[in-house]
Amino acid sequence: MRFLREVYVVFWKEMLVWVNNPMLPVVRALVFPMMWIVIFGSAFGGEVNHIPVAVVSEDTGELALSYLSMLSTGRTLELRYTSPTEAERLLKTRGVYGVLYIPPGFTDELRSGGRVRVSLSTDESTPQIAEAMSAHILRVSRTFSAALGTGDAVEVVRNPVYGRGVKYLDYLAPGVVMMTILFSSIFSGGLNLILDREFGTLKMLMVSPVSRDAIILGKIFAGVAQSIASGAVALLVAMLMGVHLKSGAAGFGLVILLMFISGFGFIGMSTAFATRITQLEQLMVVMQVIIMPMWFLSGGLYPLESMPDWMRPLAIVNPMTYATDAAREIMIRGIIWQTLAVDFAVISAFAVTMFLIGSYSFKKTLGGVK
Amino acid sequence: MIIEVEKLRKEFNGIVAVDGISFGVERGEIFGFLGPNGAGKTTTINILTTLLLPTSGTARIAGYDLLRQPAEVRRRIGLVPQEVVLEGDLTARENLVFHGMLYGLSRSQVERRIPELLELVELAERADSKVKTFSGGMKRRLELVKVLIHDPEVIFLDEPTVGLDPQTRRRIWEYIRLLNTEREVTVFLTTHYMEEAEQLCDRVCIIDHGRILDMGHPEELKRRLGERDIVEVELSEPCGGFLSRLESMGYRIKSVRGCRASIVAGRREKALAELFRLAGELGVSITSISVRAPTLEDVFIHYTGRGIRDEAGGDSRMRQIARRLKH
Ligand SMILES: Nc1ncnc2c1ncn2[C@@H]1O[C@H](COP(=O)(O)OP(=O)(O)O)[C@@H](O)[C@H]1O
Ligand SMILES: [Mg+2]
Repeated sequence: MRFLREVYVVFWKEMLVWVNNPMLPVVRALVFPMMWIVIFGSAFGGEVNHIPVAVVSEDTGELALSYLSMLSTGRTLELRYTSPTEAERLLKTRGVYGVLYIPPGFTDELRSGGRVRVSLSTDESTPQIAEAMSAHILRVSRTFSAALGTGDAVEVVRNPVYGRGVKYLDYLAPGVVMMTILFSSIFSGGLNLILDREFGTLKMLMVSPVSRDAIILGKIFAGVAQSIASGAVALLVAMLMGVHLKSGAAGFGLVILLMFISGFGFIGMSTAFATRITQLEQLMVVMQVIIMPMWFLSGGLYPLESMPDWMRPLAIVNPMTYATDAAREIMIRGIIWQTLAVDFAVISAFAVTMFLIGSYSFKKTLGGVK
Repeated sequence: MIIEVEKLRKEFNGIVAVDGISFGVERGEIFGFLGPNGAGKTTTINILTTLLLPTSGTARIAGYDLLRQPAEVRRRIGLVPQEVVLEGDLTARENLVFHGMLYGLSRSQVERRIPELLELVELAERADSKVKTFSGGMKRRLELVKVLIHDPEVIFLDEPTVGLDPQTRRRIWEYIRLLNTEREVTVFLTTHYMEEAEQLCDRVCIIDHGRILDMGHPEELKRRLGERDIVEVELSEPCGGFLSRLESMGYRIKSVRGCRASIVAGRREKALAELFRLAGELGVSITSISVRAPTLEDVFIHYTGRGIRDEAGGDSRMRQIARRLKH
């Protein structure tokens, strides 16, 4: 009971100071993300490769085979031949970005000079990928038709199943929201701790009878609360700008929960760094060497599929990748636990680990009589 | 004894900051640690306030052992560190409320004490102003009463007037005396200002290189130098011969700057007569001469052969950046 009260006192003061400095939170929460959106939202580029696409082929004729082999030439697509139910499952769980359906009689129809329709069901929650995939299939179909002598023998019908009408802004917003959490954790966790130590405000707590654990918890909770506040503002701003939030209030709540969990991870991480840092310049180095790459390699700006192969492992070990992915899932595709479970599991494991490391190293640097 | 220190020693990676000091402070005293920068004053305060672990030795504060009962000690002490540790973005009242709550007081209990405390240091009208709008002196005053909010038995003040102008410094001294008498709180302070130690402290402990050189009432310390006055004299050039003759006569010359010298005199009447006689004999003229009683500075010089220089430590670069970021 007394312990909780102590945690609360420390927490309360941190929050009071934070709220009393109205400029900073606003700047951190708004200006930063806006800048990113403007800079990167209009500067997207990069070639997308190795897009997994399921193929449900009900025709095994010669022309179907040569059409499919033309599609798989080059690095753009990776075709997987599956049953219709499996294809549907893959599309739902993001195993593939599209399902290409080749109707029965494809070969016969074309042989007799007729026209066929292949349908392409798409997951457009990553608009760059959906575009690259469709463009490739359209181009191949046109070339294929031309070879047969009719310009439009093969017609592709595109049918967005997930993420209908998603634009790049929708794609970008979830990443920016999570970036706000990442960056404000650096301010509210690491920087705050360094300033406290430098200004001696930590001393004030250390000479008081408040338990060391309460000091640490109070500060970490305050850091997380501040990060969530910034993230929530960013989320609201994104929604005002017309960004998708597919699953409504439940989705909003889930994104906040995601911010809460990731906040612990990032605050823990920046606290751990801060305890080893004696100069502010070093924090800037950490910022450049660790934090910025975490953001760039998270798939927040460009889909991971557009990364060069050597870079992908970095994205896979980057916790930010999972945070961004989860936020985007919730906001664009809806709450689909089959895919969210992995993201949440990774983020939670990261959060617990970093919280423990951060609070342990914080406690160690406090020093003095225990 | 409210503070009993026993063979306290602190090393930082082989550098001895505090070298096995022992001393005691009586309840109700204003006790001063006087020493130059780097003497080990802050280190001692940090140990006595549980911020640092000593390498060896221990201390008892208000009867509780520092190392074994830190929580009991913490409840009974207050610390005003060398740097201001108020939250600039909060008001004076909010700072006090937070501080009180750290010590387990309820918000209403703290609110009840605030007017009286702010009154004590004449800050009552500024209760609801943000602390960052305060002058350096006002911040110091607020810090002084902030640490009283939980009724500590001892307060530790680390260089309480460093960086303040002389007038503000005198006011702070008055407040410290007031706290000491009105609130019956024992004061342990450190300083490198001679005047501060002389004017404010009931007892002074002179410290250098982590060792105690002497301890006692300022008058007593000066008396221990002997019944000696200091003669400050300025001579016409050249004066080398004059000074060396004086030394051969058994006078100690404390410091020389060009032809200005401080000379330790035995009895002033005899010394003056001898000085004038020697000047006449060597044809040196005395441009000015004055006699003064010894100060604590002289005591310090007596033990160390050098003065306590006021090297007001400037802000570190990091601190400048930090301050810019914060405001
Ligand atoms: N954290 C530390 N690490 C290493 N040396 C230190 C540390 N703190 C103090 N010192 C050294 O201990 C000595 C005493 O310092 P300090 O107690 O701050 O002196 P004062 O407060 O009297 O100016 C100095 O030589 C100082 O450099
Ligand atoms: Mg000091």
